[in-house]
Amino acid sequence: MISAGIDLGTQRVKVVILKDNKIIGKSQQLSGFEPTKAAEQALQEALKEAKLSREDIEHLTATGAGVNLAPSADSTVSMMGADAKAGAYYFSSARTVIDVGAEDARAVKCDERGAMLDFVVNARCAAGAGTFIEAMARALEVELEDMGSLSLKAERASPINASCVIFAESDVVSLIHKDEPKTEIARAIFDAMAERVASMVLRLGVNQDIVLVGGVGKDDGFVASLKRRIGTEIRIPEDPIYAGAVGAALVAAKRAARRR
Amino acid sequence: MASEIETGTKYIPEMSKKEIEELGGSIKASSMKVIEDNIKRMKKAWKNRPEAMNYFDEIANLFGRREKEIREQKAAGKKVIGYSCIFAPIELILAADAIPVRVGSGWYDTAKLGDRIMPVEICPVIRSTVGAKMVSLSPYLELSDAIVMPLTCDGRTKLSEMLSDFKPIWRMNPPRVKDDPHTLDMWKEEIMVIKENIEKLTGNKITRQKLREAIETMQQATKAFRRLQELRKGDPVINGRDAMLVNQTSLWDDIKRWTKKVNELCDELEKRLEQKEYSSYPDTARVMLTGTPMLWPDSWKVPNLIEESSPQGIVVVDEQCSGDRILYDPVGVDEWTMSDMLTAVGERYLMACTCPCFTSEHGNEDRINWIIDRIKEYKVDGVIYYVVRGCILYAMEYARIKRVLDKMNIPVYYLDTEYTREDVGQMKTRVEAFLEMLEARMDI
Repeated sequence: MISAGIDLGTQRVKVVILKDNKIIGKSQQLSGFEPTKAAEQALQEALKEAKLSREDIEHLTATGAGVNLAPSADSTVSMMGADAKAGAYYFSSARTVIDVGAEDARAVKCDERGAMLDFVVNARCAAGAGTFIEAMARALEVELEDMGSLSLKAERASPINASCVIFAESDVVSLIHKDEPKTEIARAIFDAMAERVASMVLRLGVNQDIVLVGGVGKDDGFVASLKRRIGTEIRIPEDPIYAGAVGAALVAAKRAARRR
Repeated sequence: MASEIETGTKYIPEMSKKEIEELGGSIKASSMKVIEDNIKRMKKAWKNRPEAMNYFDEIANLFGRREKEIREQKAAGKKVIGYSCIFAPIELILAADAIPVRVGSGWYDTAKLGDRIMPVEICPVIRSTVGAKMVSLSPYLELSDAIVMPLTCDGRTKLSEMLSDFKPIWRMNPPRVKDDPHTLDMWKEEIMVIKENIEKLTGNKITRQKLREAIETMQQATKAFRRLQELRKGDPVINGRDAMLVNQTSLWDDIKRWTKKVNELCDELEKRLEQKEYSSYPDTARVMLTGTPMLWPDSWKVPNLIEESSPQGIVVVDEQCSGDRILYDPVGVDEWTMSDMLTAVGERYLMACTCPCFTSEHGNEDRINWIIDRIKEYKVDGVIYYVVRGCILYAMEYARIKRVLDKMNIPVYYLDTEYTREDVGQMKTRVEAFLEMLEARMDI
């Protein structure tokens, strides 16, 4: 059976196509000003990779912040529901799924079937999400990709206030003026961000295994800081950015089977 | 010198008449739109909404029929007594032939005006109520000859000072330790002071006969309220938002007429229950609301979200002083003597109340028990714990309630918000995920 999931994130649109719950096509596009168009394009590319056409998809489920802009979706699922499904799909031992995207972060407690049991969302403040790293990279005048490796070279972290992106940025600027090494500032940035994410996980209770998904899962600097804060291993799938789309595609497969 | 200092002791800065009229006018217009929109949405969600609901829609117009009635009765010599919280003994107000109206504000736009006087960290119910007074928005607050203000939380304590710039304020000092041996006596003293104040203002003596009639009037209202609540226990014949509106209109409506209209609504709903004519699908996730009062009209954003979400939820019961707590408890009188009736009134308003301003040896256990009982009676699938930023007492009690609900295996979601329309998108995401979770549990 062919099912598809589409995750309309604030920064990128991701599409995954499943055949009998195996990934056979995926694609991502910048959301830009026309997310619906971007989504259609990503869908076409994923279909091309899977060597299929739109009619082959039995059920398409959409998720993400822009869920209402999804082109021709058969159903929708919440971002937390999709995270839980994806977490258990990647690692059957997953009981907590952390998703750190561009604009928000969340933690979901799930069971072995990927059913969501509880969740915590941080959507009020960008200091716990990916755009925070971007803003800080700009302040440090380093490439976003280099932030992680930079921070891993640090021996300690400089103190910064990370209750808010704006305050953190002014803290970073004053640290630069104090000639603090960039490595330590970078580490401080990831530590501060990890602190915010870890506090959400702690509110749910630390239930292992802990899985990290979302675009920020690729960032070694953040992962190292988060591990230190939570104090356990963290499992990360190969392509963490696709987790939402994978979860939605799994839900789509379930719904298609139920309708048969 | 002294007189200069005295003139500076008011809280509220002077505003020009022009500014008051302009701001007040535009906020009133936007509020009327919100009221209209809420009713439209309730009608859309409930396809066969009974005609008996039209009456409550009419009363829900804060600037309509009821305002006119009170204005006329006031012109004919009746006194209007506002109250900020449901600790105010309504029976005593009715017994003196005065008109009771609740004056707390559910307007988002006026919270911004309150920001001129206090920081945004302060509870928006307080900021909004002051803001409403600044532009004379609330007809009921404007028409009040005096306001009963039980000082339940810090916000209301200072609100009483701010409103005293404009109106005579009768403060009530509720004892906060419920199981202290002096508690009831202290409270009864407070009730006696209010009784004297009411008699002085109205010029009417609260006689034994008058008080008995007022108690019986309120008992009838409780009976009608409970009849409606009974109908929310099974498969849905009334949507949560509609029931919430019915209950909340009792705060400013003529209570005898309200009782009659609720009974008419129940006649219709009981028929529908027999005919299995539902307002929402019977397998809709059943939600309980608890936390900060959810005041008409702007705070309907929360029940609107729940009942228009996909998957849908239905509010079957709440534990809020803006809803199911208003009329649940009747005044229980043994002997109809004056002293016995006053004791009974005192007990009803204090001991039965589950407000988080109370504590005791076992904490606020009355609230926990209320929640546990309602979850069982109304077959609740999940609880939404609603808190507006700055509502410290409700925010603090969450941790304990959450532990109780965890033990019962009832999911609870802490929905924090503000007096703003801007967070509806984010709230929708969270509410939908919660309802999706409840639905998935129902499937198992």
